[in-house]
Amino acid sequence: MDTKLVTDITRWLKTTDLAEFCYQKDHNCIEIKTRDALPAPVVSECHLTAVTAPAIGFYHAAQKGKNLVLKEGQVLKEGDALGLIESAAKKHTLTAPVAGTLRIISAEDGKPVEFGQPLFFIEP
Amino acid sequence: MAHVTITPFKKVLIANRGEIALRVIRTLKEMGIKSVAIYSEADRSSLHVRMADEAVCIGAAPSSMSYLNIDAIVTAGKITGADAVHPGYGFLSENADFADAVTKAGMVFIGPTAEAINLLGVKSTAREIAVKGGVAITPGSDGVVGKNFREVAKKIGYPIMIKASLGGGGKGMRACMEEKDLERMMKTAQAEAKANFGDDRVYFEKLVLNPRHIEVQVAADNYGNAVAFAERDCSMQRRHQKLLEESPSPFVTPAVRKKLQEAAVKLVKAAKYRGVGTVEFLMAPTKEFYFMEVNTRLQVEHPVTEAVCGQDLVKMQIEIAQGQPLTLTQAEAGAVRCHAVEHRINAEDSDRNFTPCPGTIEEWIPSGGLGIRVDSHMYTGYTIPSYYDSLIAKLIVTAPDREKLLARSRRALGEFVVSGVKTTIPFHQKILAQADFIAGNTDTGLIERMLAAEKKDEGEK
Repeated sequence: MDTKLVTDITRWLKTTDLAEFCYQKDHNCIEIKTRDALPAPVVSECHLTAVTAPAIGFYHAAQKGKNLVLKEGQVLKEGDALGLIESAAKKHTLTAPVAGTLRIISAEDGKPVEFGQPLFFIEP
Repeated sequence: MAHVTITPFKKVLIANRGEIALRVIRTLKEMGIKSVAIYSEADRSSLHVRMADEAVCIGAAPSSMSYLNIDAIVTAGKITGADAVHPGYGFLSENADFADAVTKAGMVFIGPTAEAINLLGVKSTAREIAVKGGVAITPGSDGVVGKNFREVAKKIGYPIMIKASLGGGGKGMRACMEEKDLERMMKTAQAEAKANFGDDRVYFEKLVLNPRHIEVQVAADNYGNAVAFAERDCSMQRRHQKLLEESPSPFVTPAVRKKLQEAAVKLVKAAKYRGVGTVEFLMAPTKEFYFMEVNTRLQVEHPVTEAVCGQDLVKMQIEIAQGQPLTLTQAEAGAVRCHAVEHRINAEDSDRNFTPCPGTIEEWIPSGGLGIRVDSHMYTGYTIPSYYDSLIAKLIVTAPDREKLLARSRRALGEFVVSGVKTTIPFHQKILAQADFIAGNTDTGLIERMLAAEKKDEGEK
């Protein structure tokens, strides 16, 4: 491989607005990429607090005979009721771990949930 | 015969993890039954989760919050619509409350009834059942000894063990080798019992010196049929932890084998036991044997028996739970088709008192070839969680006779490559080079003697 050729091409590439250069002849191939050719790293930050299932069981928004309607966008205080998870022998109550706005409800009334499954997302 | 009712399973939940969960899933697949895996947060990337038809997360990493959490496991069964639960070994496999909870939730517990687990789980009641069934137990004083202790000791025969009536954990125990020491030992034991437990009452038990641990696999159905398989010799243990099991035992003759099998079947029938189980005996150098206890579950070392008799014990267990009668005859069950050994490969450092070494498996090349079976949940890149036991693989080797078996075991251990964590492979290689083991002269103290000799050698260097 002719390293001089590579150096020359790299130097030349910097003088242009090209991000990538590829040259192929017979069995030889030179491919050079500048930093601009690489995708910008995605920085994602989540400000939401997830409320996960503390046990495996069935999710119920409220105790039998009671009614609790949760709506996305509603404001919650810390400790507000978020329903319960019923396992074979126990009832595990769910409360808001932080005060904030209820952004996403992924829990569905009466549906089974696994341990650790995210049920709500709150924006503090 | 009672009326036969068969309820075929469509879906079975495996209340376990690791290699045994895979073991059960494999048989379920062959039987056309769907499988449900349960897992803790630490086991998300475990193989049983991948291999099962369905998997549900039941709790946090510590066993008490997941694999020992009866409520969570029963709930998982209900959610997934499983019709039966296989408990594997360890965890809840011998827990009568679990068997009961599973049954109450409308599922079948693949194992004995809660009553049988309770009966056989308590040593004293298990001994009572053995006596009623005509199975020998270690002779003893049958309760506290009084003023006639000299006659009682003589009747049992020396050596004897003097044990505190309220004792436990090895405290208040004195061995008495000969008659002339009895008076002195009795006084010491009584004083110790008084000091430790506030009660100087003691009882006698025959002391079996250099015993072997011999166990007999049994299978019994719901209709009173029971069969016993060729014995497993589990004498190679360290602090009651089995390291290597072989079948048949090099010490057991065909005549003794027949007696062992008859005793095991008698016991199982006396206890009205159903399912697969193991009857453990202590065998004296005279080949006399005494009943110790029954393990009311599938055992870690069951593949050794599978190799020797050519049967799938998990399949048998499931069929019995479905209500099918045993079709296997005693002659088929007791057949000795080959010799087999199981090497338990643990992620432990045998040079450092067998300390567990959890970590990431950087390279995993299991043994293969003729006569090799590896039951394992490992793969390259897998991280062994520190929450559970350190068993990473069971290497089961079979050959036509014991000599060929040992040669094959040496070959198989030599090609087994595990890097990233320390394993007990080198220790198994030492066992295979040990003269007494090669000669078949094993007893439950051999590994401790091996380790002591090793220490002495190092000290001399």
